[in-house]
Amino acid sequence: MKYTLPIGPIHPALKEPILFEFELNGERIANVDVKLGHVHRGIEWAGMRRNPVQILYLAERICGICSVSHPFAFSMAVENAAGIEVPERAEYIRVIMAELERIHSHILWAGVAAHEIGFDTVLYLTWRVREKVMDVIEYLTGNRVNKAIYMIGGVRRDITKEQIPKVREAMDYYKGLFNKLAKVFLHDKTIKMRTEHVGILTREDALKTCAVGPTTRASGVPKDVRQDYAYSAYADLNIKAVTPDIYRKEVVGDVYDRIIVRLFEVKQSIQIIEECIENMPGGEIVSEPKIPKLLATLKKAVGEGIGRHEAPRGEVFHYVKLDGKEAPYTWKARAPTYNNVLAWIPMLKGEQIADIPIVAASTDPCISCTNRVSVIKGSNKYTLTKEELHKLSVEKTKRRMRNGIL
Amino acid sequence: MTMAFEVFKQLFKKPFTNKFPVKYIPKSVTAAVEKIGKGELKINPPIEIPPNFRGKISYDREKCIGCGICTKVCPAHAIELIPTGKDEKGKEKYKAIFYISRCTFCSQCVDACPKECISMSNEFLLADTDRFSDALVVK
Amino acid sequence: MEYYELLFRVIILPILALGFGVLFGLTFKGIDRKLAAHMQARVGPPIRQPFRDVAKLFTKENIIPENSIPWLFSVMPILCLVSAVSVLLYTPIGSFEPILSGYGDLIVVLYLLALPAICLVIGGFASGSPYATVGAQREMVMMLSYEFPLAVAIISIVWKLSLVYPGENVFSLGFIMSHPVWNTVGFSGFIGCVIILFVLCATMPITLAKIPFDIPEAETEIAGGLLVEYSGKNLGLFYLADAVKTVAFASVVAALFFPYGIACYFDVSTTGGYVIDFIFFLVKLFVVIFIGLTFIRVAVARIKIDQVAHIYWMLMTIIGLVGLALIIIDSTGVIS
Repeated sequence: MKYTLPIGPIHPALKEPILFEFELNGERIANVDVKLGHVHRGIEWAGMRRNPVQILYLAERICGICSVSHPFAFSMAVENAAGIEVPERAEYIRVIMAELERIHSHILWAGVAAHEIGFDTVLYLTWRVREKVMDVIEYLTGNRVNKAIYMIGGVRRDITKEQIPKVREAMDYYKGLFNKLAKVFLHDKTIKMRTEHVGILTREDALKTCAVGPTTRASGVPKDVRQDYAYSAYADLNIKAVTPDIYRKEVVGDVYDRIIVRLFEVKQSIQIIEECIENMPGGEIVSEPKIPKLLATLKKAVGEGIGRHEAPRGEVFHYVKLDGKEAPYTWKARAPTYNNVLAWIPMLKGEQIADIPIVAASTDPCISCTNRVSVIKGSNKYTLTKEELHKLSVEKTKRRMRNGIL
Repeated sequence: MTMAFEVFKQLFKKPFTNKFPVKYIPKSVTAAVEKIGKGELKINPPIEIPPNFRGKISYDREKCIGCGICTKVCPAHAIELIPTGKDEKGKEKYKAIFYISRCTFCSQCVDACPKECISMSNEFLLADTDRFSDALVVK
Repeated sequence: MEYYELLFRVIILPILALGFGVLFGLTFKGIDRKLAAHMQARVGPPIRQPFRDVAKLFTKENIIPENSIPWLFSVMPILCLVSAVSVLLYTPIGSFEPILSGYGDLIVVLYLLALPAICLVIGGFASGSPYATVGAQREMVMMLSYEFPLAVAIISIVWKLSLVYPGENVFSLGFIMSHPVWNTVGFSGFIGCVIILFVLCATMPITLAKIPFDIPEAETEIAGGLLVEYSGKNLGLFYLADAVKTVAFASVVAALFFPYGIACYFDVSTTGGYVIDFIFFLVKLFVVIFIGLTFIRVAVARIKIDQVAHIYWMLMTIIGLVGLALIIIDSTGVIS
C-alpha cells in the first residue's frame, strides 16, 4: 500500500522550513521530492542598496552559524574586485576565526544529530562543551555569534599576546575531550544502530549531485576548497581533506561516515589554530584603517570578483560586481546547502521514516541560507523546467540590453 | 550505552546551567521584579562578559561634530542625524540619535567615528516592550 | 455481599485507586523529569510541574479534527485512563490486599496492561492524520514484539509458584505477594529469576513507550505520532493514563519480585505498619521506575521499529526462555 506523507514546511525534525513529500511503502521511502522556497529573505536585494562595509554585516546574517564564512567569502570577493591586498597577519587571524567557527559548528551539529535520533543527553553534553569555544570567540571578538571581526582588507581586531594563552587553553580542553566525544559518537551501540548503513550517498552520487563539504568528503571525495584552491593563510598550511577512511577501513558514505568526518575535522581545526598561533607574523591587521578612505576606494573600484571559502558545511561562494557606485551592482551568495539539496534524494530513497530526520540533518542543512527564490501562493506553477528557465534568462538579458543597463 | 556511566556520575554533580536570574520561574513575574527592585529577592548574576564586549552604545554628545560617517557605515540604518540649529557661520549643526532596537551591535560606527565619541558599553539586558523607550534610544 | 460493601468496593475503592494512581503517577513523573534533567546537567522543572501541565491541559481547548471519527477519538483517552486505573485494582499497594483480589488474576493484569496501548492505537487511527496512522502502526508492531517476552516472564514466575504450592490460586497477585518467589528457588533458579527480572525491566520502557522505545510518538520523526491530533482535555487524559500506567506497571514488577514489607522489623501498631509498608512500597516503585525508565531513557538513543521487533522477538524472547529453562532445571533438580 503506497501513501504520501508530507514532512514540513513546519515539522519538529526540521529546524527551518522546507517541504519533503515522501511516497511511502509501509515504513519504506519509495520516492521523495524536496521543495524549497519558504524562507526567501531577499538579502542580496538588500545588499545591492548598501555599501560593501555595510554588506559585511548583512553577509554575516545570511547564516546564524556560518557567521564567519559568509563575510570571509564576501570580503575576498570585494578584495578580488577592487584589487585590495590583505596584510599577512590579518590572513592568519581570519583563518583562526574560520577554524574556531568550524569547531563550534561541528559540535553544534553533533548535538542536533543526537537530538534527531532521540538522544537528548548527548545534545546537552555537546552543547555544554561547545560553550568553551563560544567563550573564546566572545573573548576574541566581543560577541558570541555575530563576530563582526572581518573588514574589507583585513580584520577589525587583533589577537594580542595576552589573549593567546586563553585560546591555547581552550584548544587543550578540546584535545582532551576528543577521545570522550569519539567514544560516545563512534562506539555507542544505539548511535551505531541508527547511523551505520543509513542514508548512503555513494561516491558516484556525490559527484553527480555536486555535493560539497563533509557530505561529499564522507562519500570518499576529497573535495575541500582549503586544499584544492588554497587561499588566505591556508596556503601556508598543509591541509588535507578529511575522508572517513582515516578511521574506518572502507568508505561507505553513510551517516556514520559523516560523523567521522566532522569529528576528525574538529581535530584538524585544533591543529590549524595551534599552527596559526605559532606562526602568526607581525604587522598590520588591516590594509586601510580609515573607514571613509576605504569607502572612497571601494566607490571608485570597477570590476568583478569571487570569494570561495570552505565553510563548516561546504563551499561558500560569493560573487560581487562593482561598477563605480556606492553599492555593488550585483552580489550573489551561494550557501553550501544549495549543493547538498539534491544529495538528499539518493540518501533518502529506500530508507525508513525513522531515518528521515537523521539523514536530513546529516548534511547539516541551512535552509534559509539556501533559499534564493520564494514561492508565491496562487501562482499555479511550482516547477520550472530547464528550457523555461533558459527562456526567462534570455528574456531578462534582452530586456536589460534594451534598457541599456548591460 | 557509553553514556550510562557518564549520566550516573552527572547525577551527583551540579547542573551546568547558570540559574540567571532565578532558578524557577516565579509565580508572578511582576511581583518578583518589584521584590528585586526593593532588594528583597536576590538574583543570580549572569555569566561574566569578557573585556571589549559589544553591548549597548554610549554616545558622547558634546564631542560629536555631526559628520555623519557613522550613518554611512551603519548596516541597520539605526543611526539618524538630527539638525540642532545653526552655528555662528550659519551652517546647520547635526547630532546623532541611536535606535538600539535596530542596532546590530557590530560596533562599525565606533570604528568609523573620527572623534571617538561613540563607544560600546557592557550593558546587554535590553529587552523592552517599547521600541522607542528611553532605554532604547540613545541621544 | 452486603450492598454497602458492594458500594464500597465498586465506587469508593476505585476512586481511591484513581486518586493514588494520579497523585503518585504525576509525582513520580516529576521526580523522573527532575532526575533525568540532573543526569543531563540541567536544572529541570520543579517536581510539581506535571501537575501544572495537567491542570493547564484541562483548561485548554479540546480540538477534534475534521477528518477524525469524533466519538472514537474522544472516548479513547477515557478508556485508556480507566484501563490503566483498573490495573491498580489488581495490584497490592503497600501491604493492602488488591482491591479486586479474588475477582481476577495476573492474566487479567497482562491484558489490562495491553489495553491502554490498544486505546492509543485506536485513538491514533481515529484521528485521521498520516502521522498518527504511522504512529499507530508502530505501536501495534511494538505490542506484538513485547507481549511474548512479557508473558514468558510472568508465566515463569507463576509456573514456579504453582509447582511449590499445588492447588493454590497462584495467579492471584495477592498470593504472589505473600509467597515471594525468591524463597522457593535454588541457585540456578535464582539466576533464572534475575534474568526474568531483567526481561521484565526491559519490557517496562517499551510498554510505557519511553526512549529508546518512544517510537510511536517520536517527536522528531512523526511529530508526536499517535498523539499528534490530541489536544486539551483529551491529551491531558492520555498524560494521566501514562502516569497511572507507569505506577501500575512498576507495582506489578514490585509485587512479583520485591513483595517484602519492612513493617515486621518495626515495633509499631497495625496502622503504623500499614504506613511504613506504604512508604516502603513507594520507595520500591521509585527504584523500579528509576532503573527501568529514567536511567535508560537518558543513556540511549531512540531505536527503529524493525530493530525493536528484532530485539524483542529474538533477543528478549531467548533471554526470557533461558530464564525459564533455568527455573525449570532448578525445580526438576537436573543440576542441584
